[in-house]
Amino acid sequence: MPGYVLAGLVLGSIYAVSALGLVLTYSSSRVVNFAHGVTAYAVAVFYHWLNHEQGWSILPSAAVSLLVFAPALGLFLWAVLFRRLTHAPPTTRFLATVGLWVALPAAVRLVFPFSQGEINAPQGLAKLPASVFHLSALDVSINANQIAVLAGAVVVVVGMTALLRATPIGLATRASVDSPRSAEVSGINTTLVTAGSWMVGTALAGLAGILLTPILGLADLEFTLLLVVSLAAAVVGRLTSLPLTFAGALVIGLILGISVDFLPAHGVLTTGFRPSVPFVVMLLCLLLYQGLGRERFEVDLRAGPVEREVPAPPPPRGWRAAVGPGIVAVALFSVPLWLNGFWIGVVSQGVALAVLFLTFTIVTGEGGMLSLVQATLAGIGGLITAALATHSSIFGWQVPNPFSSSVGWPLGPAILAGALVAVPVGLLVASLSLRLGDVYLALATLAFALLVEQLVFARHEFDQFGAGIQLGRPMLLGIDFNDRTSFFLLLAAVFCVVALVAVNLRRATTGLVLAAMRSSEQAAATTGVSVVRAKLLAFAASSFVAGLGGALFAITIGRASPNSFNVLIGIVWLAIVATWGVRSVVGALVAGLLFAVVPQLVAEHLPASWADVPTLLFGLGAIGLAREPRGIIFTVVNATRRARGGRGTLALTQPPVR
Amino acid sequence: MTEPLLSVDGLDVRYGEAQALFGVSVEVPPGGAVAVLGPNGAGKSSLAAAIGGRARPAGGTIRFDGRDVTGWAAHRLTRLGLAYVPEGRAIFPHLSVLENLRVRLRYPVPRRERAAALDRAFDAFPILAERRTQPAGTLSGGEQQMLSLARVLAAPPRLLIADEMSLGLAPIVVELVFDGLARARREGVAVLLIEQYVERALAFAETAIILRRGRRVWGGPAKEAATELVAGYLGDERSG
Repeated sequence: MPGYVLAGLVLGSIYAVSALGLVLTYSSSRVVNFAHGVTAYAVAVFYHWLNHEQGWSILPSAAVSLLVFAPALGLFLWAVLFRRLTHAPPTTRFLATVGLWVALPAAVRLVFPFSQGEINAPQGLAKLPASVFHLSALDVSINANQIAVLAGAVVVVVGMTALLRATPIGLATRASVDSPRSAEVSGINTTLVTAGSWMVGTALAGLAGILLTPILGLADLEFTLLLVVSLAAAVVGRLTSLPLTFAGALVIGLILGISVDFLPAHGVLTTGFRPSVPFVVMLLCLLLYQGLGRERFEVDLRAGPVEREVPAPPPPRGWRAAVGPGIVAVALFSVPLWLNGFWIGVVSQGVALAVLFLTFTIVTGEGGMLSLVQATLAGIGGLITAALATHSSIFGWQVPNPFSSSVGWPLGPAILAGALVAVPVGLLVASLSLRLGDVYLALATLAFALLVEQLVFARHEFDQFGAGIQLGRPMLLGIDFNDRTSFFLLLAAVFCVVALVAVNLRRATTGLVLAAMRSSEQAAATTGVSVVRAKLLAFAASSFVAGLGGALFAITIGRASPNSFNVLIGIVWLAIVATWGVRSVVGALVAGLLFAVVPQLVAEHLPASWADVPTLLFGLGAIGLAREPRGIIFTVVNATRRARGGRGTLALTQPPVR
Repeated sequence: MTEPLLSVDGLDVRYGEAQALFGVSVEVPPGGAVAVLGPNGAGKSSLAAAIGGRARPAGGTIRFDGRDVTGWAAHRLTRLGLAYVPEGRAIFPHLSVLENLRVRLRYPVPRRERAAALDRAFDAFPILAERRTQPAGTLSGGEQQMLSLARVLAAPPRLLIADEMSLGLAPIVVELVFDGLARARREGVAVLLIEQYVERALAFAETAIILRRGRRVWGGPAKEAATELVAGYLGDERSG
């Protein structure tokens, strides 16, 4: 057996352990935990803290991490968050776990400051340096870490099979998963079962995390990939079958391991291959299962009905309708009057981001689609703009420059081109995932985003060793926007225009169609609405806005760097937008401003070790959505309308019986 | 008159802003059978769900066996001997027939008596024994209801709340379900019966209550309920 098969088997085993945890928690509570990767990270950091910082030996560190810390973490997260999500609308369910994905690593770095720096050669469950054994029968060398992984996977599989198949607890768990309602009337305490499954699921994530660190290090990206592979494996198992999930994870691991032998040691093909495997596997499975026609990838309702959104009160009409937006616009344009130069720059970043954030308003807010690819689309806009503006070449292909005799395009057309290029990419994602409901769309877009990141963003022409491409300020219609104030006013004007378009999109027939689709796709289809067209339109519009916002943001900060648009930043953006209201353009503006201003304030007034506090707050905000999914702006506006004796009421819903 | 096994007093049930039950009261004596009748949307299933612990009462009290059980979770009530069979098939479709029974018998039956209880269940419905390894979801609708009843017969609860057990079944299977219910009564099980087959329900129960729009509009001997129902359906336009 060649070494790379073993390596693939080891990697696959780690992914399998993690994926089992994901499926277990999904089965018991119908919540796909996008924070699964970061819970693994949290447990791995805790283990490293005990083992390395506190000097405990391996066994007690592992025992405390996996049997005490991880279950306690799982129980805590279940009690404060996941418990509320089972009956929540899909968007809330998704955004709240995204919030946790944002908040948890920030919390970990605050509690364990050593994890802020780079961790060199973390120790797993085997002592370092790992001893190597040679198995002459198989002609392969295996090190102690790999043995630990394989042993861990076997223990997990045997243990879980025995627990689920042969014990009363296992029977009760399977019964609760199968039909919570019947389980309750059979005398099973389903709450206890769900809590238990979150404890076990978190422990499995933690075990995967600890096993992963000596192989791939204790870094963010690896845990994102752990999440994506776990999700892909879970899709193989249709989010419910433990054996199929396990097999899926092993296969992905094996492909990754064996490919090492065939791929060149360096280059885009190699870096792009890893994230593309889970994506391709996921996509193939989704298509295959759909082709078999046995599965509609919609939210499973076995846990009971999902809360329906209570309609918002009607907005004011006539001149009243202009009052709120008018105040916001006046406040925005008057910023240069009461802020100094430096802060105008900071606020400019916020407004540029606000334009970008309108992409979420359109695709998730209006379209009701859960997309994790928007930051990537913004990155495409920013990078294409920058590439055109500096050297007029993309992917080594020289683009003719019809606008001027110099090398680079003028910024105006470059921005437009960047935004336009984002559209077909967005449509590609949309068309791949049109028939995928809710959470599966989020999975596919996440995998696609990672793919683009590794295949396109990592190219040297964009990355430039992490520095990105430098950009100047534009000259439009003969006006030079080089000074801060005029550029700020330009951004503010662009925001107002795009926001107006977004609001009008909502009021137009398209908006009605999207609203109908949000409340029930089937019902919308029966009224003759073309769901496909509406979805594509929403995706196209949101892609254009993302590209535009990405370009403007890059120009504002003076460089287009792939690092500004990675998946992890994208989820922080989504979290903060969702907190303030994913359906409100004012929410997007507030979110953009806060995202730019708060970290700056923290950096100026608080010690450096507090750098993660803003991220933590942004994540916690999104977690708070479990209470009011429509965000803070909605709550405030609704409360004032109510106070003025408006017709609107904020009805509290509770899940109906049965 | 003896102390009632179940006594519901002034029960209110709300779903958000909608109120489903307004001050409904009903009593079931030990070993007795009470039918709950009324048109669609009258609140019959809400009443069953509230007693069975699947809906939280907004007001009123529920006493079972002399104990106040208002607002108790379903699993605690089940362990107390109150068996609630919700509308629709209350089975585990992906578990085998045998596993279904084992889950159902786990809480009401002490460990040593479980094997005997299983045998009783299979005695009651031999078809289930034939299909013991089959996933319950592959059974026919009637067989699925037999599975629900088998648990009741194998480990008789004190009170059975049967919500439309005959719903969607062929007449010949409805016959079987009522046979099963009658057998349960001979075992001493009290039954609160929610039924669409009014005649069968009234033949089965001693007393009946009629709900309309969430309120109890009549209560009395089952024999007299039929005339009352006709009056309710046809005669009284205002409350119709």
